[in-house]
Amino acid sequence: MPGIEFSHVVMRYDNGTEALRDVSVVIPEGSMVFLSGHSGAGKSTFLRLVLRLESLTRGRILINDVDISRLARRHIPAYRRHLGVVFQDHQLLPMRSVYDNVALPLRVARMREREIGRRVRAALSTVELLDKDRVLPGALSAGERQRVGIARAVVNRPKVLLADEPTGNLDPALSRNVMSLFRIFRSLGATVIVASHDTALISGMGERVVELADGRLVGDSAA
Amino acid sequence: MTMDAQRGRSGPAATRRPKEVWPAASGALRSVWRERARVAGESIAYVGQRWPTTVVVWLLIGAALALPAALYMVETNLSRAAGEWQGRPGFTVYFEPGLDASVSSGLATRLRAEPHVGDVRLITPEQALAELRGQTALRDAVEIFDGLEHNPLPVTIRATLVLGRSPDRLQEIAESAGLIPGVAEVVIEKTWLERLAAIRDVTRRIGVIVAALLGVSAVLISAASVRLAIAARLAEREVLALVGADARFIRRPFLYLGVLYGIGGAVVAAALLAAALMALEAPLARLFSSYGADLHLSGFDPMFLGVLLGCGAVLGALGARLAAAQSDRPP
Repeated sequence: MPGIEFSHVVMRYDNGTEALRDVSVVIPEGSMVFLSGHSGAGKSTFLRLVLRLESLTRGRILINDVDISRLARRHIPAYRRHLGVVFQDHQLLPMRSVYDNVALPLRVARMREREIGRRVRAALSTVELLDKDRVLPGALSAGERQRVGIARAVVNRPKVLLADEPTGNLDPALSRNVMSLFRIFRSLGATVIVASHDTALISGMGERVVELADGRLVGDSAA
Repeated sequence: MTMDAQRGRSGPAATRRPKEVWPAASGALRSVWRERARVAGESIAYVGQRWPTTVVVWLLIGAALALPAALYMVETNLSRAAGEWQGRPGFTVYFEPGLDASVSSGLATRLRAEPHVGDVRLITPEQALAELRGQTALRDAVEIFDGLEHNPLPVTIRATLVLGRSPDRLQEIAESAGLIPGVAEVVIEKTWLERLAAIRDVTRRIGVIVAALLGVSAVLISAASVRLAIAARLAEREVLALVGADARFIRRPFLYLGVLYGIGGAVVAAALLAAALMALEAPLARLFSSYGADLHLSGFDPMFLGVLLGCGAVLGALGARLAAAQSDRPP
């Protein structure tokens, strides 16, 4: 049963900056959690640690009972295939079509093309972009690009969906649309963690909120 | 609240071995070759989209491959020319005048049985004089001989070395022939062979050194070019890493790119060589014909082209691997 547990996690960068200070939090499987806090509070570091883009300085991060800080380097790619990531800046490949961008995690997982097609169409249908599958990302609006990023994040049916400021470039209507998509994925069993500083949006969602400030855990609505 | 508490356990979290966070997906259908073909297609498209850069890279690698390939062809043709040369290495046995014919014919028979000796020709004094008469430049000498009562020319045996056999053995055979009573002199004609062998040896060594140096150059050219491609696709590498691509998957397009650069360079090298052969064949043929030999340049065959393309592909791939290793900083 996948779940995420941060236990006394300290993350100090090489320049001495402490991005996280003794953070302990548990996010059960299938839940949706907002990480809130101002810029520099440690939200992105939290997500980067889950992604194993950074290595923690002290403490322990358990995912599905496995201490991911002890994962061998060669096992990290396979670990990441079970995560979905949505970025504020989309991180789409400009020279690949919407279809190929969304298909990327499946091709990495070496799925058969027929299965890839089925899953990509399902993901694009969910984000209502099926009719733009052959379009290059440059021809899409910001909201559409964000939805392509979400489709790519969920196409592999991840067990954990991470989103770093996913509504940063979107208007309120589109932001609510994106959040409703996250709720859909949560309802399908994924654990969803959304880092956002948009307090108005977060408060309107009625979900658990974990608040960070200056690298410390300063609030948890579930506590 | 801890995860253990939520699961109804009180002790510290029972961590599993950190090998797999989640069980492997069951029944996952894989199409490795389809993916590789797709990546190869993308690499070909990348090369095509940046054709001016690609052409420069191909020319540089082609120039680096052409010189060692040319030296290989020179060495091959020198060997072949040595084999076809009319003045093949050998020795001539001069007998004392008036010697019984059985001695010379006996030695001729013995030499014919030697595996290192090819042609053995027994030349009587009459045959030698007839040959002299056929050479206009020696007409004065023939007139002197005609004025004599007896033909002063000795019986001789001309023996030639079998192609590819060691000249050292030739020396031994000739020396043993010189010990036979009645043999006045044995003249070994191997100086030119030694010179040719020395030239071939020098050519071969230069070829190896040049091939090593220019091979390294080809690798570095490929590495520098692939590094540019990696820098241009840095964002793509990062995204691939985030969606779970392993290092091999991330490197593959660049490896294919290096192979394409190498193969293209080999094709350029082959074209340069073909052009050089076309330009040189006529004057070389004239040169050889002045020595009474026919020129048939060899070595530029499908096998040679295959090896050249293979070398290009391997050097290109090595360069790509080098570039990928240098830029491997897993996020």
